Amino acid sequence: MMEKMIFGRYVPMDSVIHRMDPRSKLLLVFLFVCIVFLANNLLTYILLGLFTLLMLGMSKIPFRFLYAGLKPVVFLVIFTLILHLFLTKEGELLFKLGWIEIYEEGLRQGIFISLRFFYLILMTSLLTLTTTPIEITDGLETLLNPMKKIKFPVHEMALMMSISLRFIPTLMQETDKIMKAQMARGVEFSSGPIKDRLKAIVPLLIPLFVSSFKRAEELAIAMEARGYRGGEGRTKYRQLVWTYIDTIILTFMAILTILLILFRT
Amino acid sequence: MKQNKTLFLVEIAIFTSLAFLLNLVSQVMPLKVWPQGGSVSIEMVPIFIMAYRWGVKGGVLAGFLLGLLQFVFGPTIYHPVQGFIDYFVAFSVVGLAGLFASQIKNAVQQKQRGKWIVLATLGILLGSLLRFISHFITGIVFFGSYAPEGQPVALYSFIYNGTYMLPNFILCVIIVVLVISAAPKKMI
Repeated sequence: MMEKMIFGRYVPMDSVIHRMDPRSKLLLVFLFVCIVFLANNLLTYILLGLFTLLMLGMSKIPFRFLYAGLKPVVFLVIFTLILHLFLTKEGELLFKLGWIEIYEEGLRQGIFISLRFFYLILMTSLLTLTTTPIEITDGLETLLNPMKKIKFPVHEMALMMSISLRFIPTLMQETDKIMKAQMARGVEFSSGPIKDRLKAIVPLLIPLFVSSFKRAEELAIAMEARGYRGGEGRTKYRQLVWTYIDTIILTFMAILTILLILFRT
Repeated sequence: MKQNKTLFLVEIAIFTSLAFLLNLVSQVMPLKVWPQGGSVSIEMVPIFIMAYRWGVKGGVLAGFLLGLLQFVFGPTIYHPVQGFIDYFVAFSVVGLAGLFASQIKNAVQQKQRGKWIVLATLGILLGSLLRFISHFITGIVFFGSYAPEGQPVALYSFIYNGTYMLPNFILCVIIVVLVISAAPKKMI
């Protein structure tokens, strides 16, 4: 449980994709999310599928982790597939049983759109399965750096993200402790009428909030004492390194985009 | 002043992780407030507290960070517009509840209980409404790009998002009011 909190869905392994720079992974996923919508015929969907499979293969992530990511959306995929099957009434009639009619176009659209859904989920999962939350934060910080020009506090956001990430396990423990303490006093969190359960949340939240105020104050004082005074001139502990792998994979991505534009109808 | 700025950053960061955590806790632990569980959770409570303590800036920053945290822990993206709104806009706008911050502060200091309860409820209404609108738009994007043409996508999105945002709103009002009235000076 604790580990789940710190690393999210990250699966520690050694693969080409794991070693990629978080910046290039973020760019890759961002571009992929955009170009998926270019595909509109069999060939383009196959190209996207091959690219997705290639990326998944290179990441060496075992299938069960991918499946865990897919599970919550399987319902949505089935739902959209069914909507298309029964509600699109174009093309040739393929199948008729009583009032159920399935048309060629419905089947085609249903399959394509479910595939699009799967590709998107798989590629975004790939990002979080091969990159830790803190790496993603670092990547976002450098990618969003130009936004400093419009007064967007990029550095402060990154600092706050690292603090938030750092405190998730700590606060988790704290919550657990307070819950147990209140349960020992007879507070019921999981049974009884809704009204009582609502009231039970308050004795959990108040100590949690008060101790968080205290923690924040202590941390702020500690940071001040160590000379924290904003972004200018701060050095970084974790350095991002762009390697040839990143360039190669992004080139692949560019080629895929060009192919999609050429072959779409 | 400097001290205040660091404290501002740190407090918002810590309360954002609290918000993230409360969302997880209500899924994992036996803190089932709503019988069906689902998306109904109290994750917005810490954002409202930050919005009332630090004003719009604090609230929006806390909301934005919460979206970012959920993004780095595994986003569900099925459309660029949806991804952007769901993770970078939907929670930020919750922080606009902070528009009422100074009035609430005054009311709390003058011990006008009725007044701050009304103001806090208005703030939560504003925040929840704006979040609902964001999710409503992403819902239209979702159903629009995945459902067959000719479907009443706006209606689908309205019903789908309404079923959890309305209980979420009511829940937040109750909890925020209970929490603030338990320790008004400490919270605001």
